[in-house]
Amino acid sequence: MDKESFIDTNVIVHYANYQEDKSIDILNKCYSYVINKKGKFIICYMVIKELYRVMGQLSIIHKEVLMKVKNNNHSMKNNNNLSEKDLAFAEKIYSTYKQTEVKKLTEILSSEREIFEISIERFLKTQVDEKVIPIEQIQTELVNKIHDIILNHADCKILASALQLQKTRGLFLFVTADGKDLAPNHYDFLIDHFKINYPREKYIFPELLNLMFTK
Amino acid sequence: MAVRKTAEQIKDEILASLKEEPLSIEQLRKKVESNWSTTSSYLEELKKEGKVKEVISADKAKIYQRIFGDTYFDIPITDLERKKFRTLFSMIIKMYKKGSQIPNKTQLAKAAVRVINSSESGLSELPTVWYLYGMIPLMIVDPSQDYQEEIVFEHNQKIKGIIKIFIKSSCDKKTKQIQKEQHIEYDDKLYQLADKFLELTENNLWNKDKIFEVLNEFFIVCPISGEFKDVFILTERFISTIRKLSYFDKLENHRTKILLTFDALWKFIATCKFYETISLKRRFSNKSILDLYLGGAISFRKECAEESLSDLYSIYLSKLDNRKLELSPDAEKVREIMQGWTGED
Repeated sequence: MDKESFIDTNVIVHYANYQEDKSIDILNKCYSYVINKKGKFIICYMVIKELYRVMGQLSIIHKEVLMKVKNNNHSMKNNNNLSEKDLAFAEKIYSTYKQTEVKKLTEILSSEREIFEISIERFLKTQVDEKVIPIEQIQTELVNKIHDIILNHADCKILASALQLQKTRGLFLFVTADGKDLAPNHYDFLIDHFKINYPREKYIFPELLNLMFTK
Repeated sequence: MAVRKTAEQIKDEILASLKEEPLSIEQLRKKVESNWSTTSSYLEELKKEGKVKEVISADKAKIYQRIFGDTYFDIPITDLERKKFRTLFSMIIKMYKKGSQIPNKTQLAKAAVRVINSSESGLSELPTVWYLYGMIPLMIVDPSQDYQEEIVFEHNQKIKGIIKIFIKSSCDKKTKQIQKEQHIEYDDKLYQLADKFLELTENNLWNKDKIFEVLNEFFIVCPISGEFKDVFILTERFISTIRKLSYFDKLENHRTKILLTFDALWKFIATCKFYETISLKRRFSNKSILDLYLGGAISFRKECAEESLSDLYSIYLSKLDNRKLELSPDAEKVREIMQGWTGED
């Protein structure tokens, strides 16, 4: 029987951004993983929360670009709305569309954003078999332990949700496209860290399936 | 021997102390030179009499605020300002009556704003704010009240002239029209777009393209910085839900829910706008005090907007199906640029 898949946020975002014949490798892999679904898909509530945050963040990127196109003096850097990574994407959109009429660009960005959102919402509505671990049930202590190694707080909560779930059922896959914190060697390091520092709790880690590192 | 204060004296002193800003029991106790339990019991009495109310500060302390009843959110104004407002309202009502008219609330408020903001009136210090229907005096207008001319303004004749012109230019206009013209006069794009949205949704058949055009502009104009981040997030959620819903169903089928949600959202936006405009005035620039007056209202409005948006979103989710949706070539180009973006920090 196929293992269940506990899906991370980035896999769904890449899946929603997929374009036939145009996408980079990781988007193709995430899309393919979803449409060739084997076994149950599990989502934790923290991932759902993150997905809504990501959708909101995309609208902020678009808003910043529009403000810049409307007024060249607007600085996308000097406010706290965009992270460095977001800023790089915002600047790329801006440089491509800076000559476009604001009204037209607003419509282009809105339609792109809503198709992206609809893909995520459809995924949640039709592909997810089980939603697990309400946010208020995430164990703070466990989050803090993961925080020793992984800095992103949301990632810690998602992983904590996966570990809590893993205690209750057979081994499942933790499916991610995170090339940094959840790269296989980093994940192994995290497992070792838990074995050394928290041996009594006997945490079982799900099997990592990092699509960034698959062929 | 110290003379013992009467209960009424202590209560008056408490009310006087609360005239400028809300205070805690401890602060009040010191001001009225009484002990904690006496002060607390008189505050309870004043609360029952409807003269003070309890608010909770950011650090969860119990704070008491005076209820004036004649200003928005009971924000304090000075006695002189109160007299000036009442005199101005009285003059406006009288001039309307001369033409055998009785002004409604909007006419009275907008005429007062016109006078206050005219450089010739000498009344520019009277506080005005932006709220649900545009700019209004901080003191609540009530055309049914018997206002008296309590003082004589330095520029009385000029003020009368301004009122006369206002009445003449607006006598045959409907309330909504007067409001719309004010939004144009002060060039407030957000209010103008809200007017346009409501106008377009009045029709039985909705022109989707025009509605989206207005909502797109709303998206651009909507403030995002500082305290307005939540306003942007909720506004964007409203716009995107309507746009997405339109792929799967006719928007007119959800007219009531869409309009109720917009109403809840607008109340939240307008309360934030109220906060913003009043905090620009030097005397109200202390944000922790202003939060005591408006914090509760803003949170409440936000919750209502979120609740309403959640209902609208549920409708959209129930209509969401698997029909194929195509990206335009331009939108495809944007998507290509965004490849690799995950929204993670």
